[in-house]
Amino acid sequence: MADPPRYPDTRDDTDVGPDRESTTGTPRWVKVFGIIALVVVLLFVIALLTGRGGHGPGRHTRSAGGHTLPSGVTEYGVRQP
Amino acid sequence: MTMTPRLRKFALTTHVISSVGWLGAVAGSLALAVAGLTSQDAQMVSAAYLAMELTGWFVVVPLALASLVTGLVQSLGTKWGLFRHYWVLAKLLINVFATIVLLLYMQTLGSLAGVAAETTLSSADLSGLRSPSPVLHAGAALLVLLVATVLAVYKPRGMTAYGRRKQHEQRMVSQP
Repeated sequence: MADPPRYPDTRDDTDVGPDRESTTGTPRWVKVFGIIALVVVLLFVIALLTGRGGHGPGRHTRSAGGHTLPSGVTEYGVRQP
Repeated sequence: MTMTPRLRKFALTTHVISSVGWLGAVAGSLALAVAGLTSQDAQMVSAAYLAMELTGWFVVVPLALASLVTGLVQSLGTKWGLFRHYWVLAKLLINVFATIVLLLYMQTLGSLAGVAAETTLSSADLSGLRSPSPVLHAGAALLVLLVATVLAVYKPRGMTAYGRRKQHEQRMVSQP
């Protein structure tokens, strides 16, 4: 049995046409995305290291880090005996 | 290495299924996290955290890893490449970052589920279980995965320096 006819746009997801990337330099959306990503990663690392905001080794106790976890429950950690 | 059209379609299909499935599973986890945070019923709170841990290990984590692997195969097996286009690179960074945070946070969910599994919960344990942390993590994950989905659909223009160099090399080869 013959293959069904293909739609003309079925290659859109994987085809990189020659006219697609004619611009040079870094697009604005990449700069914005990069700044946001950098801020998010920095916040994550700071939270992980300092234990503030519910992350990190120092806030795994009751009422630490701005919210309360049950006794022994540690965020990004295991329940202590 | 470039895949055949049939293999390419298969790889794309598995990548879409795993990525969108991951998004849906996180949305479900967010609903459970909201239920765990807001419900006044102790059994509902316990059930929400137990369900979150189960779906986390058996649905969210496998789908996240599948999305990462199929994304790598899809990019390396097509002309898109992994480091040539900014949108592909951005999706890779989002996927790796989200997977790392997910795997770290599964330990926290395991601890919360451990408390929730106790037959008798003290009022302190119950109030402690009503943590905003799962809601914040699931909400942030949903937002990040939505961004990745938008990038995948719109494919915004922009090539990296490496991509431009590779494109130039290919043009030189095809037009000596």
